[in-house]
Amino acid sequence: MKEKHIIDLLENRSFASLNESERTAIQAHAANCSSCARAYEATQVASSLLRARAGEAVEPLPFFHTRVLAALRERQNEIPAFKRLWQTAGALVSSMTATVALLAVFSFVIPGTQTSSTAQASVSNGYSAEEVILNQNDLQDEQASDAQVLTTLYPAEDSGAR
Amino acid sequence: MADGKAFSSPPDHSQRTLLANRNEQGKIEQGSDLELAQLARAGDESAFAEIVRRYSPRVFRFASKFFRQRSVVEEAAQEVFMKAFTQLGSYEGRGSMEGWLTRITTNTCLNMLRTAKRRPELASADLSEDESTWLENQLSEVAAERHRSSERSFVAADLADRVLENLSADDRVVLTLIDGEDASVKEVAELTGWSESKVKVQAFRARRRMRAAVEKLLGKQLPPAVAGGSG
Repeated sequence: MKEKHIIDLLENRSFASLNESERTAIQAHAANCSSCARAYEATQVASSLLRARAGEAVEPLPFFHTRVLAALRERQNEIPAFKRLWQTAGALVSSMTATVALLAVFSFVIPGTQTSSTAQASVSNGYSAEEVILNQNDLQDEQASDAQVLTTLYPAEDSGAR
Repeated sequence: MADGKAFSSPPDHSQRTLLANRNEQGKIEQGSDLELAQLARAGDESAFAEIVRRYSPRVFRFASKFFRQRSVVEEAAQEVFMKAFTQLGSYEGRGSMEGWLTRITTNTCLNMLRTAKRRPELASADLSEDESTWLENQLSEVAAERHRSSERSFVAADLADRVLENLSADDRVVLTLIDGEDASVKEVAELTGWSESKVKVQAFRARRRMRAAVEKLLGKQLPPAVAGGSG
């Protein structure tokens, strides 16, 4: 036993679970081995401390259950409050999304539709915007030729009036 | 009796309500754990109150193995019942409700210990006079006999707590249950949800750490022949 230290035996099991013969063997070894003696002493004290600690107990106060129920109600109320907040936030987010979508529709889709309808209208009238711009000179030419026509048609009246 | 005058007059509405409540309360008080759990799950507050009333002493006793302050024990117990309420669906009445609640208590306490700050290492200089005296007495053979009866003294329990505060939550749980309460490895495995081999290894290491902490404290108290000798 002197060669084989008893520390493992002390650490493998609780001190209280050691039987009489094991304790006698430990004591015999500890008598000639100071490190094991120290370990044995410390284990004894540790065991006493743990048992002293285990003996203590706190009892519940008479109205403990009331406190628990109040805490439960409080926690249950917290959840709907959170749900309400989440729902409000959800409604806000949805309305914002709808507004953004609506704005997007107004900004991109409807103007596009108007342009296309204008184009369609131009097509139905037989000319397009480009044609109008390109034919402006022609129009001027047409106007000029009307004046010329008038001058050509009524030259005598004009000279008579003078 | 024959003319019926001896019978009490028929109860009015408020009395009837009171009687009905008493009957209901009586039923709840006599209800089995499973019945109470089912009623509480269905929203019957008084059934859950009865569960708390029935098992709070057990939960308190178990939580006070890990915490000494009443406020902390109460906090732990309250948390246990809150968890129990949310987990009522998992209680099927196969095992005892006491065992079910004890498992919840163990895990709740373990979590609370894990989140609590560990104290710096306790040195013998930190000990109060009472604690030093208690340790000295422990080392004296004669006084040890005398002290065996007063092992559960406040000083010893306080010192135990201070030593345990230096250890990890897992160490505390295994030491408290196995070395302090004589629980078996299997029981601790069931309570914590750990494997039996984990409990064994944890207990082995925890004992080593506890012994080292106590040895350090005893360093001053040990007689020079013992304290300074070689192996």
